[in-house]
Amino acid sequence: MPAEDKRVWLTIAGIVVLGICFLPLGQWLFGIRYTYTVRVVALGGAILGVISGALGCFAVLRRESLMGDALSHAALPGVAVAFLLAGRDLGFLLIGAGIASWIALRFIAALLGTTRLKQDAAMGIVLASWFAGGIALLAYIQSIPDASQAGLDRFIFGQAAAIIESDVLLISGAGAVVLLALALFWKEFKLVTFDGEFAIANGFQVGLINTLLSTLIVIAIVLGLQLAGVILMVGMLIAPGIAARQWTQKLHHTVILAAVFGAFAGGVGAVISAIDADIPTGPMIIVVAFSLVLASIALAPGRGLLWSSWRRRLDSRRFARQNALRDLYRYALSHGSPGRPAPDAFIRGIGDRSAALGLRQLLASGLVETTGDSWRLTDTGIEAARRDAHSLQLWDLYRLYADDMGLPLLAEDRQLDIRDVLPADAIGQLEAMMEQRPN
Amino acid sequence: MMALERWLIELLLHFAARDEINVFLRSPQNTATIIGCLIAVSGALLGTFLLLRGMALTSDAISHTVLLGIVVAFLLMTDVFGMVGDTSSPWLILGASLAGVGTVVLTELLYRSGLLRQDAALGLAFPLLFAIAVILVSRFAEDVHLDEDAVLVGEIGLAWANTNSHCFDNCATVTISPDHPQAKMARQCRNCRELGISPRDEGAEFVEICSNCGSYSPAQAWQAGYLQKEPSLVFFPKSITVTLIMTALSLLLALVFYKELKLTTFDPALAKALGFRPGVMNYALMILVSLVAVGAFDAVGSILVIAFFIIPPAAAYLLSDRLAVMLLLGPLIGAAGAFFGYDLARGKFFGFIEVGDIIAGLNSLFGLDLPEQWDSSISASMVLMIFIIFTLVWVLSPRYGLISTLIRRANQRRRFDDQVVLAHIHNHQFTDRHATELRVKTLHLHFRWTGRKMGRVLARLRALGLVAVVNGLAQLTARGETQVHAFRGAMLEAHNMPDID
Repeated sequence: MPAEDKRVWLTIAGIVVLGICFLPLGQWLFGIRYTYTVRVVALGGAILGVISGALGCFAVLRRESLMGDALSHAALPGVAVAFLLAGRDLGFLLIGAGIASWIALRFIAALLGTTRLKQDAAMGIVLASWFAGGIALLAYIQSIPDASQAGLDRFIFGQAAAIIESDVLLISGAGAVVLLALALFWKEFKLVTFDGEFAIANGFQVGLINTLLSTLIVIAIVLGLQLAGVILMVGMLIAPGIAARQWTQKLHHTVILAAVFGAFAGGVGAVISAIDADIPTGPMIIVVAFSLVLASIALAPGRGLLWSSWRRRLDSRRFARQNALRDLYRYALSHGSPGRPAPDAFIRGIGDRSAALGLRQLLASGLVETTGDSWRLTDTGIEAARRDAHSLQLWDLYRLYADDMGLPLLAEDRQLDIRDVLPADAIGQLEAMMEQRPN
Repeated sequence: MMALERWLIELLLHFAARDEINVFLRSPQNTATIIGCLIAVSGALLGTFLLLRGMALTSDAISHTVLLGIVVAFLLMTDVFGMVGDTSSPWLILGASLAGVGTVVLTELLYRSGLLRQDAALGLAFPLLFAIAVILVSRFAEDVHLDEDAVLVGEIGLAWANTNSHCFDNCATVTISPDHPQAKMARQCRNCRELGISPRDEGAEFVEICSNCGSYSPAQAWQAGYLQKEPSLVFFPKSITVTLIMTALSLLLALVFYKELKLTTFDPALAKALGFRPGVMNYALMILVSLVAVGAFDAVGSILVIAFFIIPPAAAYLLSDRLAVMLLLGPLIGAAGAFFGYDLARGKFFGFIEVGDIIAGLNSLFGLDLPEQWDSSISASMVLMIFIIFTLVWVLSPRYGLISTLIRRANQRRRFDDQVVLAHIHNHQFTDRHATELRVKTLHLHFRWTGRKMGRVLARLRALGLVAVVNGLAQLTARGETQVHAFRGAMLEAHNMPDID
């Protein structure tokens, strides 16, 4: 298994272990009591996290993060209409929400297709109008005397405490169908996400696939509504995807990792909000999810801020050492022999810190010796400098003849020793070529 | 703010009597409509520039953070400084708009880290800030005026009741001190609670306290009955003043910096090269957007306000290509929406359709049992009305509307079909393959069209006198020939190519 894959699986395992460890830890530190309600809500949160995390990845990768915001706001009138028509059954409410979001999706597409409005404006129009429709309908429902609207409010801010066991079963069932569809159309979704034009050229029904993917995203949003609410759902949808994206370059890793992150945020957020009755669950889940994003941005290997600043530091140390060695060697050669000392002032040049950094490293590894105001390469130093110079000469030849000689093509990077990046037989060819040339 | 209100009222007093002003402003409809129109005007003015800069959803981000700013400032004011919480206090407005500008900076920073894209940075930043605000509201601010409902829809319908009183005549402020004849004195036990005894027990010590001492403004004094003569008072809703200031500032920005805003919106690079500072203009715009979002918060809440920023300018954008016209149309559309929106909330649709009748129709159609009394949220209805106007504009706009676009596209498709068929006939007639290529019965096969479509196109071309059918073969008429040549010439010229014919 390649190193990157191993790292991703390790991260996934780490998050799962962390999530499981949090349960007793929370009990011990905050005195959370895992009553039946807390267990149901945490389970529901975790399952919703898996669904929205997995599908949110696609929203993030297709640069449609804000579409999630528009579609989740747009679900509200559907909830209200479904309530008016069919009463309080959760299944009907969710179907209504889905239909409203889906109409919003098509409306945005129609606006984009027939006017010169840009995507952000179209989404803003639909978001605000559908939401206003929902609010107006809710106000109307509130004015109906005997049909108390209690329970619809929870779709605005989310109210996890209202989740009961049958809801969790419904969510799991619908989620399983969504994830199954994701698995079945994996190849198509991957293709339209990364290269839509290529997909069109190869005869895929891109419009149909896009609609299917958007529909799945709508379902994920709708399922999450009662937990996170229409306003915050977008965070639940995209935060796990953004966090997961920092850790890996592969789609299937991103999706699995996002699902795990989502489950962690949903479960842990629900548990934390059980500390105090005044902490709303949905917003707490969003805060946990955002902490995961922050942690990923800071820590993720390869892309993370800590990682890249550490790599920059290592690189600048390595370049300083290499440049100091090259400068010393060149000075010595041009003044007679490789062992000639070079004056301190010359090597330090115009006083940039990197010369001192390089000399310090060379001194520590015994490649140079100093008398205080001059620097001289030791025998091992001369050997190292020769190898380096040889590598540079080979790089020169590689640049000129690589194509003719049919050598493997690389990005030219003279900081590296060419013998580390080219296969041995290619080096042999280059060295033979160097022998032939009369300098 | 008080001085401004006073000046305004004095201005109004030139046109109307005091009682008329009071009656006018005490009507919820008048006050709500005025506030709605003012928000619509300021929102549309700023929103036009946001829309043209492709930053429409930035107003969404700002309005969400403004909530956090308001909540934090509110909690600081009440809990830390012990002031009376008031969402139209200038300190609160200042703090909240700083928070709004802060989000824009924060999103920019997230985006510049290079690890996530702009839409993701926006989509991440505002749910988070909103979530924190909601946690703070429900955790710490339960018993204050800031509840979740107000956050969502505002209280534009109650704006008339939250007033400042201004006195113009018989303005006596009354100070009641303990020796005033109307002072109400009461005995209170000083040490009962400490000692845990009842006032009747022995050892209880009493103090005289005055229950109604203090200074009274003319309005309060009249209400409490301390004045013989009624002071002439005008009650002015606070929200009107706040939104009026926001509108004036937006107008000022749009008028004074019209040139700068126009240049930095359409060509930031040129603006920079000419020595204007696009960044400064951008931040000025963001500050004003935050100010308007805060000012509108009381009236329409923190989410519906984005409709006032985005929808009217979008409608204006479908009507005109000129910035100045857009700046005129946008506020008009928004204000119209606010005006008719109030009626919609009370069940009247543009004054001629009753929502109740529609509900009755639905009831009888689907066998439902919904009450026909439609009484809904005012701010949401205003947004719905703006959206309805937008939809009308979208469908009907002469140049960029749905109908005209569809007609234009159908025409283009027809012209294209005509040209293709004419070119095909031109290319094949007088060649030795013309008998196979131009046979009318099989002509559609060469285009992979259906026979019906070919029939339609041919019928049209024959009716226009461009094509004739001789012995079952299609031929160009003389007019058809000239048409093809004219078209070829235009094409070659457009692509700058020599004619090879």
